[in-house]
Amino acid sequence: MQRARILPVLALVALVSGLPASAAAPASVAPDFNLPARDGSKVHLSELKGQVVMINFWASWCGPCRQEMPLLQQIQAKYEPLGFTLLGVNVEPDSAEAEKWLKNVPVTFPILFDRENSVSARFGVEAMPSSVLIDREGNVRHVHRGYKPGDEAVYADLIRGLVKE
Amino acid sequence: MRTRTLCLCALLVAGLSGCGSVEPWVKPYERQNFADPIMSSDRDPVSSAYINHVYEAREGARGALGSHGGGCGCN
Repeated sequence: MQRARILPVLALVALVSGLPASAAAPASVAPDFNLPARDGSKVHLSELKGQVVMINFWASWCGPCRQEMPLLQQIQAKYEPLGFTLLGVNVEPDSAEAEKWLKNVPVTFPILFDRENSVSARFGVEAMPSSVLIDREGNVRHVHRGYKPGDEAVYADLIRGLVKE
Repeated sequence: MRTRTLCLCALLVAGLSGCGSVEPWVKPYERQNFADPIMSSDRDPVSSAYINHVYEAREGARGALGSHGGGCGCN
């Protein structure tokens, strides 16, 4: 009898202490950040309120990231007039490799450097590349993990939906 | 005595449950760390492939070390 009462308590202790910490999930307010951009300026996420923002976490060592970069450039060019901004957050501690690679791939959207990985950690980046879509009110609406050919159409659909709101 | 055992049990269970959700220590955005030379188990793969080939040719009890071909292992 005594044992029957203790076991559920132990099970509960095991359950609660095993719970993982949660990261930025869809339908939550996007954590604000302030990161240095490639052109020397600083970018505040809060200053982009009122725009649909897509944050793309990438690295020069990440194959799919390199593959989607020219497509992201096309998306930026197409949807920028509708109040859309793309931010490419480079996650490398040393941005020299990124700069080297970007020389051959012209992008016009801001490339930010998250050298300490603090923003990547706050957004809970669980795959490379990861794309976070933020609506005009500053809420995280979609988190897209990874990239495979054809995903650019998914991005475009999601962006169209958010721009229309 | 009983309470102590119970407390110990709870502590043990809480401690063990930490093993239940082992996450990758290296986050996806930290993967460049894997490419660091210090992560490689074999600092000189060409040289060790040659040495392994010598071992395989000389010692009947050794093999499957990743080197190819037969021969005497002398050159």
